[in-house]
Amino acid sequence: MKQFKKIFQAVKVPLLAILCSLIVGGIIIAITGSNPFRAYYALLQGSGLAPKGSYAGHKSMLTDFMSYVNYFTPMIFAALAVAVALRAGLFNIGVSGQMLAAGFTASVIVGYSELNAVIAKPLVIVIGIVVGGLAGALIGFLKYKFNINEVVSSIMLNYIFQYVVSFFINTYFVDPVSRQSKEISKASRLTLMDTMVGDLKMDIPLGIILALLTVYLVWFLLEKTKLGYELKAVGFSRSAAKYAGIRVGKSMVLSMTVSGALAGLAGVTYYLGYVGSIQPKVLISTGFDAIAVSLLGNNNPFGIVFSTMLITMIGKGGTYMKSAAGVDAEIASVITGIILLFSACNVYIKWKMEAKKRENTSAKEEK
Amino acid sequence: MDIIIIDGLSFALPLFIMAIGGIYCEKSGVTMLAVEGLQGFGAFVGAFLAVLVAGNFAGDSPIPFYIAMIFAVIGGGFFALLHALLCLKFKANQVISGVVVNIMAMALTAYLTKALNRVLFGATSDKFVLTVSARITIPVLSKIPVLGAVFTNVYPFEIVIVLVAFLAWFVMYKTRFGMHLRACGDNPHAVDAAGRNVTKIRLAAIVICGALSGLGGICFAYSISANFSSSIYVGYGYLAIAALIFGNWRIMPTLFACLLFGFARSGGYRLVQVLQMPSSYQDLVMILPYVLTLLLLVFFSKQNGAPKALGVIYDKGAR
Repeated sequence: MKQFKKIFQAVKVPLLAILCSLIVGGIIIAITGSNPFRAYYALLQGSGLAPKGSYAGHKSMLTDFMSYVNYFTPMIFAALAVAVALRAGLFNIGVSGQMLAAGFTASVIVGYSELNAVIAKPLVIVIGIVVGGLAGALIGFLKYKFNINEVVSSIMLNYIFQYVVSFFINTYFVDPVSRQSKEISKASRLTLMDTMVGDLKMDIPLGIILALLTVYLVWFLLEKTKLGYELKAVGFSRSAAKYAGIRVGKSMVLSMTVSGALAGLAGVTYYLGYVGSIQPKVLISTGFDAIAVSLLGNNNPFGIVFSTMLITMIGKGGTYMKSAAGVDAEIASVITGIILLFSACNVYIKWKMEAKKRENTSAKEEK
Repeated sequence: MDIIIIDGLSFALPLFIMAIGGIYCEKSGVTMLAVEGLQGFGAFVGAFLAVLVAGNFAGDSPIPFYIAMIFAVIGGGFFALLHALLCLKFKANQVISGVVVNIMAMALTAYLTKALNRVLFGATSDKFVLTVSARITIPVLSKIPVLGAVFTNVYPFEIVIVLVAFLAWFVMYKTRFGMHLRACGDNPHAVDAAGRNVTKIRLAAIVICGALSGLGGICFAYSISANFSSSIYVGYGYLAIAALIFGNWRIMPTLFACLLFGFARSGGYRLVQVLQMPSSYQDLVMILPYVLTLLLLVFFSKQNGAPKALGVIYDKGAR
């Protein structure tokens, strides 16, 4: 019971944020002349969480759900990346760029090679971790050594990665038909696409197993190890941590390295799992939405799993919502934005709630 | 050479006015990462108004542009209120608030552009098509060797920006309000003790920042892209922030930083043309301003002149 109460305390504010945003979003949908309940139900249908009216051959609610899992796997990694950096008081807004760097490197080294699946798939994951980790470490190093604001440097790196990758794709790896990079080999892909299971043709994302494992590992790292404790101390107060003998610079670089490595995993599960090719000159929004996901999940690895499912549901179901309820898919990102808006105020809401509680108890005492 | 100066200036000046906005906000002690979103929202409002009134004027009339400019300023200032609400009223983390404002601006403008196009113009389009602003050449001055390029093929908005920038400089350094604003960033308690309202001054600074960012945004929309669409969010706002950090939160050095970005960019483009490289090499040239920013920050971030109370939520009771 006590455990339950503790969990309720933790999820109270995010739940309130979600509720408020759904109401505001619903009002917007209603103003544009659609039925908000139908629109929200379409979101569930599009993500395979509610049955659709009819299905094409070899498709069912399960295949929709699997493709939804395939879609949210990268987001779990990306949100964990944001959370680890935030623990140390750093803001990794470069997740998208780190994803691209890792995804591109893995595509070039493994995706276009002849390696067989047993070697290729683990290699893709290792490359993702290494490249992402290096990119993250660079940002941490610039912050520690030269006092460069991590937000500015990671944004600059975002653009640099974006243009450099675009240059290489357009010069060497372009598929003349799709204008994207050439599709990677089947052996290196982390999602088994269009696999027949019984009568159903579905996508099986192998990354989700790794993702759930990583959620546990990150939780363990943050809550049960000395490093995690040091990161938290640095995040709360840099000067206090320094006074306590924690090497602040090392902690910052380390947290950015771990954050970058997680972003790299997000990159390989996205570019070599969900899509299979890279569109030049485009930085995907996953890395930015991950900030919302992480905030909403209270920066807690387990909370992140749930907030990921919610936010990606809005993104994934958006396309179906457009066809089923006639609501613009862009409204989905507006709702995400509003959720983010409310979760940014969480400190204030919590403080208000506690202030009210204090008022109530003191009023009782006076009686 | 002339082309490098002309194109460099038309890129550097809108960047500069956005950076000045950032300086106002940060000098008052509020971290400002929302310039990107504010310039986009301002440009959106301006472009919408321009498209709305365009039918009433002749095709080459400059009036819609001036209307767009005014409303971009208003729109940017208005949207900045969101940042003010989050930072000042709800005491949110100012970095997070900035990111929230950016994401909100991108989502809202993408949605509204589509919706307004459909409802008002009956078109399925995700952009407002604008014209490229006409250019003017100042008669005598443009004849000066080399420097004459500064006065050749000038967009009218460049003149507006120079005037506004001068005004902003004057207000910041030569008026009482400017002094209070700068004091808010270094020692808000002293401002409070002097009988001024810290929250009000910061609110004013945030709105000014939004207004100037909006002005910068509409200038980009009228020069580089000639339309308003989500392509406006390519990081000019972040570049402006890098410029102001690099300029040590002072207006004149920031101008220098912006000019450097502008000339690096136009020079790079020119290089690709002169050497007749394939167009995909433009992507490589595009990274120049960003690499330059990082390199320069490596050398200049140490002597950091950031306002002392930057990013600290003002708490009247704290001592």
